[in-house]
Amino acid sequence: MRETNLPLPARNIGSHVPMIDGPEKVSGRAKYTADVLGVGQLAGHIYRSPYAHGEIVDVDISEALKIPGVIAIVSGADCDKTFGVLPIAHSEHPLARNKVRYRGEPVAAVAAIDDAAAREALRRIKFTVKELPASYTTKDALAAGAALLHDKKPGNIERDVLFELGSTAQGFADADLVREGTYNCAEVCQNQMEMHAAVAEYDAVRDRMTVHASTQVPYYVHLMLSQILDMDMSRIRVIKPHVGGGFGCRTETLNIELIAALLARKANATVRMVTTREETFITHRGRPETDIRLKIGLRKDGRITAVKCDCDQRGGAHSGYGVVTILYSGSMLYAIYDLHNVKYTGRRVLTNTPPCGAFRGHGTVDIRFGFESLLDQMAAELGLDPFAVRRANLLTAPTFTDNDFMVNSYGLPECLDWVERESGWKTRKGKATGGNGARKGLGMACSHYISGASKPVNWTGEPHATVKIKLDFDGSIVVLSGAADIGQGSTTILAQTVAEVLGLDLSRVRVVTGDSEVVPKDNGSYSSRVTFMVGNAALDAARNLKSLLVNAAARKLEARPEDIECLGEVYRAGAQDKGATFEEVVTEGLKDSGTITVTGNYSTIPESHGGKKYRGSAIGGTMGYSYSAQVVEVSVDEETGVVTVDKVWVAHDCGKALNRLTVEGQVQGSVWMGMGQAMSEEAAYHDGLMLTANMLDYRVPTIQDSPPIEVGIVESIDPHGPFGAKEAGEGSLAAFLPALTNAIADAIGIRFNDLPVTPDRVFEAIEKRRRAIEKSTKNGGE
Amino acid sequence: MDALPEFRIVSPTTLAEAIAARADNPKAMPLGGGTDLVVNIRRGIVSPQVLIDMNGVQELHAIGVDEKSIELGASARLSEIAEHPAINKYYPVVAQAAAHIAGPTHRNMGTIGGNLCLDTRCIFYNQSEWWRSANNHCLKTTGTICHVAPKSRGVCFATFSGDLAPALLALNADVDIAGPKGRRTIPLEKLYIGFARQDVPVTEMQGDGKYYLSLRPGEIVTAVRAKNTPGLRSAYDKIRIRRSIEYPVAGVAVALRKDGGSLADLRVAFTGTNPRPVLLAGTAELCGGVFDERVIKGLDALVRDQIMPMKTTFTPGHYRRRVAGVLARRLVSRLFEG
Repeated sequence: MRETNLPLPARNIGSHVPMIDGPEKVSGRAKYTADVLGVGQLAGHIYRSPYAHGEIVDVDISEALKIPGVIAIVSGADCDKTFGVLPIAHSEHPLARNKVRYRGEPVAAVAAIDDAAAREALRRIKFTVKELPASYTTKDALAAGAALLHDKKPGNIERDVLFELGSTAQGFADADLVREGTYNCAEVCQNQMEMHAAVAEYDAVRDRMTVHASTQVPYYVHLMLSQILDMDMSRIRVIKPHVGGGFGCRTETLNIELIAALLARKANATVRMVTTREETFITHRGRPETDIRLKIGLRKDGRITAVKCDCDQRGGAHSGYGVVTILYSGSMLYAIYDLHNVKYTGRRVLTNTPPCGAFRGHGTVDIRFGFESLLDQMAAELGLDPFAVRRANLLTAPTFTDNDFMVNSYGLPECLDWVERESGWKTRKGKATGGNGARKGLGMACSHYISGASKPVNWTGEPHATVKIKLDFDGSIVVLSGAADIGQGSTTILAQTVAEVLGLDLSRVRVVTGDSEVVPKDNGSYSSRVTFMVGNAALDAARNLKSLLVNAAARKLEARPEDIECLGEVYRAGAQDKGATFEEVVTEGLKDSGTITVTGNYSTIPESHGGKKYRGSAIGGTMGYSYSAQVVEVSVDEETGVVTVDKVWVAHDCGKALNRLTVEGQVQGSVWMGMGQAMSEEAAYHDGLMLTANMLDYRVPTIQDSPPIEVGIVESIDPHGPFGAKEAGEGSLAAFLPALTNAIADAIGIRFNDLPVTPDRVFEAIEKRRRAIEKSTKNGGE
Repeated sequence: MDALPEFRIVSPTTLAEAIAARADNPKAMPLGGGTDLVVNIRRGIVSPQVLIDMNGVQELHAIGVDEKSIELGASARLSEIAEHPAINKYYPVVAQAAAHIAGPTHRNMGTIGGNLCLDTRCIFYNQSEWWRSANNHCLKTTGTICHVAPKSRGVCFATFSGDLAPALLALNADVDIAGPKGRRTIPLEKLYIGFARQDVPVTEMQGDGKYYLSLRPGEIVTAVRAKNTPGLRSAYDKIRIRRSIEYPVAGVAVALRKDGGSLADLRVAFTGTNPRPVLLAGTAELCGGVFDERVIKGLDALVRDQIMPMKTTFTPGHYRRRVAGVLARRLVSRLFEG
């Protein structure tokens, strides 16, 4: 019989665990980059181009330098290097050289003793250009004779993608119904709470640079600083303090970090650069405006026979992640349904607008909107239930898709079941109506996402993730990781993972992150890679530590290691053994080596790297795909066009919920962000000047707009995920968009293919239909 | 949004001191809750060297409400007005309008004086200094053209967006004004001169989006008041894209009275549509009968003639006008039936 006073191993996985950095954040004690203050810091400010497109004639800083308090000014003349997140697309200078390509592009930067002096200096900079014709839209940029943004990019095409797997000709011939749809999704921005900031400290005596940055990718920042500053990487230290969100706009090195460093070195000082909300918007890296032409073939039973998709993305003036975005949009047609006979053409277009980047759901969201919209429309035409159409096209895991994506776990069927049941779909669909001019409707859709890109963009051959654990005389478990917690909770997940393996309470675990001087390199927080990759590395490290402690306990207890039972705070050799305390085991373990350090690694397997059937086919390859299904209930006021989301049911297959609290939060946040893109958010321009670069005109939904969101967690237990886990932070965004428009179509019979669906657009569409009906009635009466 | 530039704050405790401070600092601006002014200062739209903090002037905080009349000091907080039981009971249109303004924190700071004098707004105006400079400025600041209507011949179309003005116009309110030459009281309607007519020059009595208030130099609004009418029913509603924070896409206030089964008195006022809050002219002719198709069509026609949103917001003008009409009809119908 088990002794009741023996401690049980603490359980840390699968419950609701508050984030371990919560106390600092809710109390305001957490330090963000802008909080890094010190004596003698200089204020850094950027001079931005007022021109959309032009050849630089002169950047005259002579008058600006005369302003008292100005210490240094840098311009394009100070740095001839280029940067970019993709090794194949380094098109950007930190400060424009030769040409400016968008309104707001950094041209020069001032370091001064205070903001007032720096701002006055900005006013004195004389910037002369020879203006060139500018293209603000995809159409203008692609027009014959449009001025080229980059000499080496004919036709203003950054990258075109083409593949056909199977035969679409045959597929469409086999279909009972073929339909085409065109879709337009407006450009959107991330709008994390914290505005971009960087504090760069240059140590001239030792020629060293320390940069604090509000980034998702400290390692990429490190890499780019080295290239831009032409400094050995060993002389650079990158620190990521607390970060107030990112959603993808910080998954590449931003010009702010590089400019702050260039300024600091020139000024031989510390430069603090905190941008305004408008500058954060213009730094951009949001989701590009996307035009989609989609064609689907369906058999009467709902089976998809062929898909043809053309996609144009207005990428802005530089590549950024653009090549990857346009590839994702094609490749991620796969791995959600059983598709064959797919043809994709994608064009990433260069325009004189701020550069887009990797926004949550990178490359997949707009395509999914089009796909799920057309599927819904065609299901109705065939008299099929939208759920039935999805169920007719499910994958069977394990499998490989036609484009060689590895699918080992597939919880989409359970997601569909959950939202169908919880929303009362079968009894309520098509029957919901409302009074007072408001009509109710239900819509559904699905989406999916990767758990980390299997091949990082900067491929070095190292393990994909590395975690170190340190254990010393004090008995605290110190986890060292380069994973960037940007608010998503990765630090908490690492602590939970390690504590779970060791059976210890979370309070014994501390996680150290964010300082290149201390922690192992990590590629960063993007593509939902951290829980999967770094989680697996933490799991490996914790197991290594446990093995070491078990051996120490065996010595202490004079038993064989295989007989040692780890109960967390107690290690014992058998049920009758009183055992040794954790502290005693640690003391024994330290006898070997002093301070204990262990390493854990994780590498993806080659089977997950995608195939070689077309150029860029690795993009979209991952160790595990997450799945989501959603039902959205709306009310549409037919007289005002106002759409109200009454409720959302969302089921997300995250493999295994390591922390139900943060999974629910991530899924709700995805829905909510999708709601913004679907209903109110749009980055709009007036001749290339962003009109909506503030929180009033760029309409992120408020909590007042948030409907009740019911989250169902589906656990398909991925064979490769840590404890079976897959991603939870992105996959549920995309499905909201088509679920909303499908619900509106259910409510009022009008389908919206252009986003966002603002009240004026709804109103116009209803008016248009009314006029058409009036006209036909009139004609019919004659 | 940039850090605030330097300025000096003067803190009078009496109205006389406040008036004197304005006279001493002709370019000073009065500061109420700062929810609009501070944003504009940060954006470099205005850069007053001196701010006169009106919050210390006790007499401007007064709220006097009973079933006969309402009087609100200019420094009364929007949240106080929104939550005031007697205002909700006797002048619901005022409480509802206050409750619709921006978000809760703005309402805790914002004042009725600030909301009545709220600077007109435009997507080409409410932008940063860099933005406006890159766009060659506009009529409302230092530029020479109105980007909303480049052929406007010197007329600015920035839109008035305060929520309380239409509510008080619907109550036929008067506004008290104090200045270096003494005090005066005028109908609230006369405070707003943003007619933006292109056929006559902009004058002191005939302004536009730039010259939108009839206040003379050094004058400030000190209070607004209205009398109740027995049987008066009133309400406010607005369309906005989000349910908080937003300025109105269109806001409508209605006050009406019934005599037996017929409409005896009707006042309808709009905001978020023109360079001034518009008290709809010609509603008297809709009275005298029941609320029927004649009233609906008549109301629509008046809205079509007098409500003229331009492309000053991100939401198209056509929609703002149409939806203003829908809200007006709904409110009139609800109050008539209710």
